Amino acid sequence: MNNDTWEIGGKTLKSRLLIGSALYPSPANMEEAIKESEAQIVTVALRRQSAGEGGGNNFWNIIKALNIHVLPNTAGCHSAKEAITTAQMAREVFDTNWIKLEVIGDQYNLQPDPFETVKAAEILIKDGFEVFPYTTDDLVVAKRLADVGCKIIMPWGSMIGSGKGLMNPDNLTAIRKQFPDLKLIVDAGIGKPSHATQAMELGYDGVLLNSAIALAQDPVKMANAFKYAVEAGRLGHESGVMQERAFASPSTPTIGTPFWHQFS
Amino acid sequence: MIKVSINGEIKEIKQGLNISQMIDALNYTQQGFAVAVNTTFVSIKSYEQTIINDGDTIDILAPVQGG
Repeated sequence: MNNDTWEIGGKTLKSRLLIGSALYPSPANMEEAIKESEAQIVTVALRRQSAGEGGGNNFWNIIKALNIHVLPNTAGCHSAKEAITTAQMAREVFDTNWIKLEVIGDQYNLQPDPFETVKAAEILIKDGFEVFPYTTDDLVVAKRLADVGCKIIMPWGSMIGSGKGLMNPDNLTAIRKQFPDLKLIVDAGIGKPSHATQAMELGYDGVLLNSAIALAQDPVKMANAFKYAVEAGRLGHESGVMQERAFASPSTPTIGTPFWHQFS
Repeated sequence: MIKVSINGEIKEIKQGLNISQMIDALNYTQQGFAVAVNTTFVSIKSYEQTIINDGDTIDILAPVQGG
C-alpha cells in the first residue's frame, strides 16, 4: 500500500479519491460504499426540503457519522449569483468553507459555464471560501481560475454521469504541465477504474466521481476497485512511466537463444 | 395574513413574522438548514431581525445527496 499523504484545502489526506453521495441503491449501500472506498472527502448538496419531510436528517446523520470531510456542491446553479448564494448557505449548514463550485452553462451536456464560474470563484475566494471549481479541460479557463486565486482546479474527464472516461487526455496533460503547483482533480465522466488510473498517471492529484461507483451493479465492490485504481495510478505516476518506443524490443535475453533460432 | 412563496409553494403566514417565527410556524423539523429570502442568503444570526414581507420568495435548503 502507498503511505504517502497530500494536502488539499488545508487538510492532510491519505486518500486521493473524492466520492459522491448520490444515486446509490439505498442509504445503507451508500454508507458501505463510502467506507469501502476509504475516501476522506465526500460531496453533498443542498435542496429544498419542506416542513415535515425530515428525510434529509437520516442522510445527514449518516454522512456526519462517517467522520470524513464534507465538500458541498452548487449543483444545479446556472449563474454566479445562484452559486454564491448556495455556497453561503452550504457554509452555514455544513460548517465548512469548502465549496465545489458548479455553474452549469448548458443543460444538454451539463457543461460548466466558464464565465460565470470564474466570476463566482473570484467573489467566493474574497469571501473566504476554498473553491473547488468544476470546469472543462480548457487551459485558458484554468488559467483564469488560477488568476482569481483558485488553488484547486477540477477539469472534467467527460460529461457528468457519462462514464466515458477521459475525452481529451492531451488537454488534461497541458493543464497539469502549466500548473504544477495547483491541486488538480479530474471531476466527472469517470466510468471505469481504469479511467481513474489514467487520470492519476497523468499526474493529477486526485479523482472525484460518483456515478461510476453508485451505478455499478455492486457499488461496494466497485468502491474497493476505485480505491486501488486511484492508488495504482498514483504509484505509476510517481514511479516514472517508461518511454514509448516505435519498435519492438524483446524483454527476454537474446544471448543463449536455443537451437531452433538457427533454422528460421 | 400575507402570501409568500416557501420552497416554491404559495403559503399564507401571519404578517410581521421574522424568520425564526416563520420556521416555528412551519413546524420545520430538519436539523440543519439554511435560508435565502428573495435569492439572498440570510445567516442564522440575522433571523430575528429579518421580517418576512408580502410577496417574498423564501428558500429553505437542507442537506441531500450530491455528486
